[in-house]
Order: sequence, then structure tokens, then C-alpha cells
Amino acid sequence: MPTGRDASHERELLAEASTRSVESGEMSRPVGSQREGVKGNAGDATANGRARRVRDGLERRLLGLSAVGTALILLVLFYYPVWTVFRESVVVDGTATLSVFLDLLRDPFYFGDLARVFAGESPLAVGREFLFGERRLGIVGFTAYQAALSTLLSVALGLPAAYVLARYEFYGRRTLRSLTILPFVLPSIMVAVGFAATFGRTGTLNGALGVVGLGPVDLMFTLEVVLLAHAFYNAPLVARVTVAAWESVDASAVETARSLGASPFRAFRDVIAPQLYPAVLMGAALTFIFTFGTFPIVLALGGFQLATVEVFVYQLVRDLNYAEAAALAIVELVITLGVLYAYLRYEARHAVRSSGARPLPRKRLVPTTRSVRDLLPRAGIAGYAVIAVFVFVAPIVSMVYASVAGPNGPTLAHYEFLVERQATGAAFQVQPWPAIRNSILFAVGALAISLPMGVAISVLTTRRYRGRKLVDVVAMAPLAVSGIIVGIGLLRGPVFGFEIGSYRLAVGGALAIVAAHAVSCYPFVVRTVAPGLERTDQSLLESARALGASRTRALLDVELPLIWPGVVAGAAFAFAISMGEFSSTIVLATGTDQYTMPIAIERFIGRRLGPATAMGVVLLVVTSVSFVVIDRLGGESYGI
Amino acid sequence: MGSEGVTGGGREPPVALELEGVSKLYAETTAVDDLSLSVREGEFFTLVGPSGCGKTTTLRLIAGFESPTAGTVRFRGVDVSGTPPEARDVGVVFQNYALFPHMSVGENVGYGLNFADPPGGVSRERRVAELLELVDLAGFEERDPEKLSGGQRQRVAIARALAPGPDVLLLDEPMSALDAQLREHLRVQVRAIQRELGITTVYITHDQEEALAISDRVAVMRAGAPEQVGTPTEIYREPATAFVATFVGDNNVFDGEVHAVGETVASVAVGGETLEVATAGHEVTAGDRLTFCVRPENLRVDATTNALETAVSSAEFLGETSRVHLAWGGRDLVIRTPEPREGRVVVGFAPEDAHVIDVGR
Repeated sequence: MPTGRDASHERELLAEASTRSVESGEMSRPVGSQREGVKGNAGDATANGRARRVRDGLERRLLGLSAVGTALILLVLFYYPVWTVFRESVVVDGTATLSVFLDLLRDPFYFGDLARVFAGESPLAVGREFLFGERRLGIVGFTAYQAALSTLLSVALGLPAAYVLARYEFYGRRTLRSLTILPFVLPSIMVAVGFAATFGRTGTLNGALGVVGLGPVDLMFTLEVVLLAHAFYNAPLVARVTVAAWESVDASAVETARSLGASPFRAFRDVIAPQLYPAVLMGAALTFIFTFGTFPIVLALGGFQLATVEVFVYQLVRDLNYAEAAALAIVELVITLGVLYAYLRYEARHAVRSSGARPLPRKRLVPTTRSVRDLLPRAGIAGYAVIAVFVFVAPIVSMVYASVAGPNGPTLAHYEFLVERQATGAAFQVQPWPAIRNSILFAVGALAISLPMGVAISVLTTRRYRGRKLVDVVAMAPLAVSGIIVGIGLLRGPVFGFEIGSYRLAVGGALAIVAAHAVSCYPFVVRTVAPGLERTDQSLLESARALGASRTRALLDVELPLIWPGVVAGAAFAFAISMGEFSSTIVLATGTDQYTMPIAIERFIGRRLGPATAMGVVLLVVTSVSFVVIDRLGGESYGI
Repeated sequence: MGSEGVTGGGREPPVALELEGVSKLYAETTAVDDLSLSVREGEFFTLVGPSGCGKTTTLRLIAGFESPTAGTVRFRGVDVSGTPPEARDVGVVFQNYALFPHMSVGENVGYGLNFADPPGGVSRERRVAELLELVDLAGFEERDPEKLSGGQRQRVAIARALAPGPDVLLLDEPMSALDAQLREHLRVQVRAIQRELGITTVYITHDQEEALAISDRVAVMRAGAPEQVGTPTEIYREPATAFVATFVGDNNVFDGEVHAVGETVASVAVGGETLEVATAGHEVTAGDRLTFCVRPENLRVDATTNALETAVSSAEFLGETSRVHLAWGGRDLVIRTPEPREGRVVVGFAPEDAHVIDVGR
């Protein structure tokens, strides 16, 4: 989850190290006051002393330097580019104006009936018409509407999963629990292909319906399939955070309630449920935020008749209408941040931190008796399982199946098409190999930048000092800003070039893609590294410092080894996120030689579903393999 | 108890560590308030006080984990207020041991030797072995610290802190996580090591009994500043304030108006009785308000001087003695008796067993 970082317990931290100068009163180290035996003096320390002092000085500044480096990267690769785009919306012909925004707010195309209120009509009259007459949502209204429906569906599909995972013991439960993280790193364009293969006219669903004699349904380019795809992503997220909360409920609290006379249901309502609400709300808030900014799924599954704000931002950018695109993106950002802020306010007031000393015992999934009380919930679980298989498993399986299915049985024709296209395709056509190569290269590059960035930001945001909140916000902002805007900002800023004197400093297109990926990856490194740093016993760090380790040495010797699984997980995430990145890549990839696998899939999906699924399988394999490889290199399992 | 151990007479050793007018303010609270202290070379100095009195913050200021809002910290006369902890030559032992869980016992003890050559010009391995021997853990180099008992872990932590040969050893409630028996055993061991090395030591504890048992000098802290600094016997027998009197051991604090003043004794009106109190060293005149205390062991049953008629409100049997709580005219008194008591008891004390804490005009 990219947002809602636990503001966990406060620690007294030293907020000085990097700013302190070495010169100030360094004391001769090993000269002791001891009188006997165990230690004497070490007179030869002076020669080593100077060399050590130089090294210490470098070390001590390393954290400061990496912080400055990170800040510079963020400034050049994120804040400046985004600013150049946002400026378009408020500066027209050299003068600052809000007219672009006002026009946008008063345009029913975007705001539907709400635009009439912004234009000055009576809210009551508009409200009455909206309720009882013709209603018009506009693009923004529709985006919020589908996000709300997606949130409802995700919560509805996520909670039963949370219940099963938290309360039942069965073979593979832990694996299933870990798998709930998987949708999060699956490239959305690949998921879109999977959904097309499942719910399209010739998809698996129609195949299954045909067997039982029901007519074909075509869900492609409907709201339903978009909602299902959103649920595919977000229901596991809801389940994940809810399970975590459920597992931290202390069994003795429930037992206390029962011993005081509460029925099992009352105990659930009074003790367990209040500890689940914040988690469910967190899942819902994140789902709303993600689905409000949805892009590739709608682009591939919904088409322009279901256009959301982000799709329209893309459309406007393609039409070179930057002012309106930027204004629309800002409106989107404001709404997203508004929801996020409301949620964080709620979280601050309602955070229940149960110690979870003794978690609730799990029931066996296989019923032990044939009583109604045992069978009924399990029948419900079985029903849910059927739905879950269709929503969560079928898209992936269907994609793999579709990639080898032909009109006359199994075929490798789609893969052969890819190979053939590679061999004979024209320069303007999408070739598979460069896409695979680019995806891997960009991901390696993004990883190399985002990992140190993420660690540096984690260190900065887990220490206590004035202004830490601001650093937190500045560092996490890239998650909230539309990838398209980042892409277009990079395109027009660093890619086009900066004038420095008479010299033009330009960043190549490929480099810009790596930069954009790094910016969208490092928050995930922060997410996996920072909680570990926060939890690390401060006295370990202080012991190392007292023993003579600089802040940087203490980080390298003590903290990072202890939270290594988190670092590895962050790397795996960064790699997978970069592999699947779509929004900024589609803006920045100017020629076919810069295409990545997701872009190649998008180019195929409209015309040829077969090759798209084949390409999707390749992406699935490469993503999974790199995820596993990075995980294995770390040598330990990650504990997200 | 051991107040004589520092020098054995002669001139005082030089000051090793000095805090002058040190304050530490957090957003809303003042943790340390204009504190001045000095610790002599080789001294075992203890900061004792209730939780929240600022003793841990004081230790963190000495270690360099916190920087003072005001005032200076000096090591051997050198201002180190701006020096980071790694450049201060301190060894720190925490309550929770803080052993690096990903390193062996030997690697833990040797960690500080990455940044300083082993004192005495010995090899790193030799130094680690020496230190482990010192804390009775010889041959434990390859062990996993996670698999040691609490007492063993704490001894590893002490060895680790001592390995680079620090000038000052700082111990932050090192025994609190251990059970009572182990605590007393380790206490003796820590004191023995400290004497053997002659290392300047600052010890933090909330346990006043521990403070008296282990220290050369004790500072009783309250609200961010010391109420009294002195040897354990001074602190116990001559508390400077009512707070010190009641914090260190059980005590009975009285206050009342002086009626008459004799050569060495004053008559004080307390709760309708007139009590005779020795006032040696204090200038007392009639009409003054006198605060004094009498230790439970000095309140004797059936004594005739300063006799007080009391009723037993409760009694705790402690083994060697019993602690008996008495009610006397709305005041609570505490005495020590061999056996638990019930009913009515007359107690009294000799005028010279009373210690005058304060004289107010």
C-alpha cells in the first residue's frame, strides 16, 4: 500500500549526526584511565587517527550527501517537470489566471450538473433536477461514481476472503495470504488482457456459459468488466489489511467479553469489529484513490465511452491541450488528496493498536461435525470460492489459455506471430524482443536509482526532527500525481532539455523513462524499508554509535542487516512495478525502439488479442521470474 | 557501605565528567532543568529517582544521544556538547541489553574495535577473549546472543561497552529486566569489575536500595535536577529534603512550630504533642517551622522519650523484620519490629535520632 504510513510509536532520536562537524573536539580514543591489566595505552593511534578521521568525515557526510542527491533527483525528475505542466494551467499567454480552472469547473462535460452550480445556478434547483429529472455526471462525476462502485465491490469481495484467511486453518493458507500481494505488482495492462480473454465475446466466460446452453454475453467495454478488473486489484488489498487487523485482535479480549456474558455475536460486534473498521476503511479509501486515478484498465477494457479523468488527461495530452490536461490533473489530484486527508484524519483518531499478544485461534476449514452451525458458514465459503476463482484466477489462466488456443485446438501461432514480427516486422511495427529487452533494462535502471533513494528517504522520515512531516509529504507526493503528468513533464522538461548558458542539457528518452520509473518505484521501497527502520530498537543504533560507529556505519552494520528482508522486498516491488509501468512510459516512449512490454501489449490488444495474450504471458513470466530471483538473492522471505 | 573506595585518602582525583547548567527541553516538557554535576575519575556515580525525573535524559546527554538545550557537558575539562556519541569515548549499557542479534557474542564484543585499536596493543581476538573472561563468559565467542539468558546477555553488553577502553561507562538501568536474585548477584559483579578497571561509571536506577548498595556517590533526582548529591550514608542518614528523606528508604517526616530552644535540643509542637529534636548544626529560634525525620528503625516501641500513642493500621511480615504502619492523630507512621504487631502501640525516639531537614522562618 503506498499511503497511510503507520505513524508508529515515537522515539527519541538524535537529529544531528550529518550536520555535525568532525573537527569539533575530537578526543583521543583509546587512552584509558585504567590502572591495570586489561588495558594500557595505544600510542600508535595518532598515525591511524588522521586517516580514520578523513574516512569518518566522508562517512558522516554520506547520509547527508545521499539526502541531497535524492532531493536533487526528485527536484529534477519530478517536481520541476510536474511544475512545468501545472504552470500551463495557471499561466496563459504570460499572465497568471484561473480562467482555465473556472472554465473547467463550469463545463458540464466534466462536472455534469455540478457544473451548473459552479456556474452560479441555485444548488437546490440543480439538486432537485438531478434527483428527479435528467441527470448528468460528467467525466469527473462518472470517475467518482465508478470508483465508489469499485470500492463497494472490492470490499464485498475482500471481506469474505479476510474472514477465511483470518479465522480458518487449511492447507496453503499462508501461501494464499502471501499471494494477496501479487495482484498489486501485476502489470495492469496484462490484467486487462486477462480480462479481455475471460469476459470477451470469445472468452472463457462465454465458453462456460455455452456449455450450459446460455447465450453469449459481451462484457467488453462495459462498466461491469471495468469494476471487476478493479476488484481484481483492490479486493486482495482490502483482504490483506483486514486480515492483518483481525490477526492482531487479542484472544483474551474476546474471552473477557465472553466471560462477562457476551454471546459470540456480541463479542464480535463489541470487541472484534471495532478493531476491524479502521482497516476496512483504510482498504476502502485506498481502493477509491487507486480506482479514481485508473488508466490502463479503462483504456483497454472500457474504451473512450467509459473515459475516466485520467483517460481524458491522456486524451488532452495527445491533442496537445496541455493547459486543460494540467488543470484536469490538478482537479484529480485535489480530489484524491482530499479523500486521503479525510482518511488520515480518521485514522489518527481511530487507530486501534492491539498488542495481539495472543491471536484468536483458527478453526479448521474442513468441518468437524455435521451441525448446521459448522456447515452453514462453510457452504458460504464454498460459494464465495467459486466467485473468487472467476474474478481472481480466471483472468490469468484465461490469458495463458488464450495464448495457446486456436480455432482448431492448441496452437503456438500467436507466439510464432511474435517471432515472425521480430524477424520481418517493419521499423514502425512493434517488435517483441526490444520490448522485452527495454523492460528489463529500464527495470534494472529504475531499481538502481530507486533502491538507494528509498533507503535514504526511509532513514530521513523515520528520524524525529522538526519538519519531518513535510519531508514525508514531499517524498511521497509522486504516488499521488498522475503518471501521465509526470511523463509529459519529463518529456517537455529534461527530455527537451534545460538551457544552461549556451549549452543545452537534455536527457535521452530512455533515460527519462528510467527516471519516471524510478520516481514511481521508490515509494514502494520506502514502504517496505521504513517500517522496519521504525521498529528497529533504537538502543541498538545508539549502542553502535557509542562504540564508535558513525551514523552511516551504524546504518550499514546494524540497521540494514536487520531489516534486509524488507530491503529485498522493496527491490522486488520496485522491479515489478517498473516492469508493469504504463502511464508515463506511454507518454515518454516516442519510438518503437523504446517500447516496453506493457506498451507492446497495448498496441496489440485492440487489433489482435492472440498476440497480446502471448505477449502478456511473456510479461507474466519475466515479472514472476524476476520477483522470485530477487527474493531468492535476498536469501530470506519477505514479510509484508 | 563503600564510600571509602575512591582514593583511600589523600587529595581528590580529578574531575572526569562535568555537567554545568545543563537543560534539555522537549516540545512540551523540560526533562532536565539547569542541572550541574561533576563525577571524579574512577568514581561510581549513581543517578537515582522516580520515573520521569530526567535521569535517563541526563545519561543520554552525557552519551551524546541528545544535545543540551542549554549548558555544557565536559569530559576531562573539554567541552563535548557538540561531539557526536561515536567520538566521545563512552561505553553504554542499556536495560534491554541491545545486543546486535545478527552478530555472534564475539562479534558483538568486538564491534567497537572496528573504530578503535584494542587498548594495550593486543590483538582484536585477544581483547575480546579478555573481556569475556572479565565478565565470566570465557569461550562464549561463537554463541548466538539470542540464545543466552538475560544475565548472560547483560554481561555481554557490559563486555562490549568496555572493549574499546572507554573513559566513561554509562549504565542505564542495566538490572531492571532481571529477577531479584540475579540482580543482586550481577550488582556485586558490576561493582567488582568497576573497581578492577577503575573506570569512571555513571549508573542510572530507580531502585534506591541498589543505588545505596553500589555507589561511591549518589545523586537523587527530581523534576530534572538533583535534590541531593552525596555518599550513600549521607543520603540515607542526612537527607537534605523531605523528598530525599521519603524516597530513599522508609521514613517518618514531621513538621511543626518550635516552642522553645535549648542548647542542643528544640521543643517542637507536632499534632498536639511536644517533641524534643536535636538541632545540632542548625540555627533555630522559637517560632520557626521545623521539618525533621525519624527513620523507622529509630522509632522504638515502648520508648519513653517523645512517646506517641498510636494504633496499628496494617503490618507486613518481611522475614527478618516486619514493617508496621501506624496511625497517629491522622498521620501515618511506619516502624520496623521483629514481629508483626496489632492493637495499640506506644513508640518514641531519642532526640538525636531525629534529623532536621529544613528550618523555615
